[in-house]
Amino acid sequence: MSVESSMLRRRTSSRRLQFPEDSAFEEFPTAGGIGIDRDVSIMAASISGYTFSSVCYHSANSNSDHEGFLLGDVRQEETVSISDTQISSAELVQVVEIHNHDPCAQLFSFYDYAGKVNEENLNSILKDRRKNVIGWYRFRRNTQQQMSFREQTIHNQLTQLLGVPDLVFLLFSFISTANSSTHALEYVLFRPNRSRYNQRITLTIPNLGNTSQQEYKVSSVPNTSLNYAKVIKEHGAEFFDKDGVMKDIRTIFQVYSALQDKVQAVCGEVEQSERVKEKIQEDVNKLKQQIALRKRKTAEEERKIREAQNADSHSSPEENTEPSESSLLSRITFHTPSAPERPSTSPNPPSYTDLLSQDDSLLSSSSPPTSAALLPRPQAVGSPGHPTPGPLGMGLGMGLGLGLGLSTSSNPVTTPSTPYLGNGDGSSSDSLDRQAAGQEDDDDDEDDDDDEDEDSSEYENLVSEATHLPMVSASVLAQGRPAALSPDGDARGSQTT
Amino acid sequence: GVMAVSAVHLESDAFLVCMNHALSTEKEEVMGLCIGEVEASRIVHIHSVIILRRSDKRKDRVEISPEQLSAASTEAERLADMTGRPMRVVGWYHSHPHITVWPSHVDVRTQAMYQMLDQCFVGLIFSCFIEDKNTKTGRVLYTCFQSVQAQKGSEYERVEIPVHVVPREAIGKVCLESAVELPRILCQEEQDTYRKIHSLAHLDPVTKIHNGSVFTKNLCSQMSAVSGPLLQWLEDRLEQNKQSIVELQQEKEKLLLELAAL
Repeated sequence: MSVESSMLRRRTSSRRLQFPEDSAFEEFPTAGGIGIDRDVSIMAASISGYTFSSVCYHSANSNSDHEGFLLGDVRQEETVSISDTQISSAELVQVVEIHNHDPCAQLFSFYDYAGKVNEENLNSILKDRRKNVIGWYRFRRNTQQQMSFREQTIHNQLTQLLGVPDLVFLLFSFISTANSSTHALEYVLFRPNRSRYNQRITLTIPNLGNTSQQEYKVSSVPNTSLNYAKVIKEHGAEFFDKDGVMKDIRTIFQVYSALQDKVQAVCGEVEQSERVKEKIQEDVNKLKQQIALRKRKTAEEERKIREAQNADSHSSPEENTEPSESSLLSRITFHTPSAPERPSTSPNPPSYTDLLSQDDSLLSSSSPPTSAALLPRPQAVGSPGHPTPGPLGMGLGMGLGLGLGLSTSSNPVTTPSTPYLGNGDGSSSDSLDRQAAGQEDDDDDEDDDDDEDEDSSEYENLVSEATHLPMVSASVLAQGRPAALSPDGDARGSQTT
Repeated sequence: GVMAVSAVHLESDAFLVCMNHALSTEKEEVMGLCIGEVEASRIVHIHSVIILRRSDKRKDRVEISPEQLSAASTEAERLADMTGRPMRVVGWYHSHPHITVWPSHVDVRTQAMYQMLDQCFVGLIFSCFIEDKNTKTGRVLYTCFQSVQAQKGSEYERVEIPVHVVPREAIGKVCLESAVELPRILCQEEQDTYRKIHSLAHLDPVTKIHNGSVFTKNLCSQMSAVSGPLLQWLEDRLEQNKQSIVELQQEKEKLLLELAAL
């Protein structure tokens, strides 16, 4: 178990978003871009922007890694390409369409620590969606863009169990700058069952693209032919209704209108279901709290009784005169959720999921942040939620906030008299190189050693942080992990133009 | 100097709407306004976003008209009524498809102008449709910034502001409403363009038919690229919620029994 968690720690220790970015990151190929492989069949994959955003949304709501299944379709398409240099050739393209994702409520829901998949659990999660599964996905923070050993193990079993020979795996990795001002979500689609050369497929996100309004014609091609004018007027009249409006316009608008009505209607249903879900979740949380409270009380009462019994059986008659209440009180400890051992100090760090389950119970009981909630979690960087103890926050007491235009609903947003028009040069604000962060393999090793020191300094910062920021909501603190202070110092300082 | 804002907390359902919007098109920058409140800790808390139409579609002209700001303020008041908290327009967001996430000179200046009216106003940028061809890795980035003037009269500079997405398990009503506005906004834009073209009197029938077909084609693209996938996602979400409700109900009953037994 400790080997496992130290493996995890090494892997999660350190990808941090740094700028200048790699020049390798370029413009995305236009939708429908097909990667050229050495395999006979080429693969293309797409995912809708809404599904993609939904995965990001579920991941943002998770403290930990997040995973789920990809539902969709795989089909063969034949593309005929004609070029000057060769006779037209037909290529077989496998097209993977991801329609939807099925998020898992928690990790290890269908497999165990060893990566052994439990088919029964799998079926109860997927139910009748099982036949639509074409892949699965995982969201991790600050990790390398490659499959872990356990993921590979799981993938092989899923391939067998689901009977999908070309099961795909979508890996999301989330990294952030040290001051948490900029975050990146990287994604790679693997097909691990293929040879090493074509494991990765380009994932396109189809979108509106180019519905250029420049395609409207503002003038007609000049033509003096009377015949032309006559013919097109006579036969073209078919297209227009009595008001001179093109019939197609009305028809297509009706299609759009009906569709939008349907969107609104389903949206209304979704909204209702969100509220119902929220309410029941609240009820569940309250019940859990009540149960925990009740259990605590009974445990304390039992302890009191036991103490009293012990005192009776061991004490002499003289001692009985003072009820030894003070000693009882000193022995009754408040039952707080026990703080997870800090990974950096214990010889056997608790397993990753132990920490997870403890935090889950913290969340569900929505108790005020205890020191346990403030402890850094194994994945230190790229946290959602916790404000950084960076230079922006340093040395600022509450007093400074008062004079700085605190918002009230009566504070009007005055509208500018003229909309601001830039000079439209579209030039980038960086005279420096600003390219996406490249691979940080070099940093990995050195960060490993730094981690433990960072953890302790962050812990101190967090504890003092709580006294400076009482307004930060409990839920944020409970879920937050501190952004790691860069060992090189503040990233902002290196960015000034 | 000290910035008026220490950090930005973006509710995850508002984040969802921003992502949806940013990923809706790779051919132009999209934009919207952020609604929320500024807490005493100088943290800007964004509860929802409003999708805006861009009147000037030229590259890098991301501007908000007085009417749009006014409409957004009304929306903020509505949200304030609903939540009982003071809400107002606290920032703006826009997308950088195929471009670096950093704000351009124009963006920094636009942000500086908004800050003159409200020093807590923040800017968010979403960069998407980025790919590293070598590793076939795609990327979506987001950043938060304000502007500062190093000295009087000098150029404005970007200041990085920490931003965190705050979990919210259920999607809020205002966010859902914002999300389904997108197809309507797209259609309105198309109608306005067509109306202008259509009013040109000197076009011959063939040209008119052409233009009508362009309108039809564009609306079809909108439906298949936006409305359709949106509807699909809503249906899937509804299904998921129904499932969750059943499971939660079972858990609730189990807990009730457990509590009764204690």
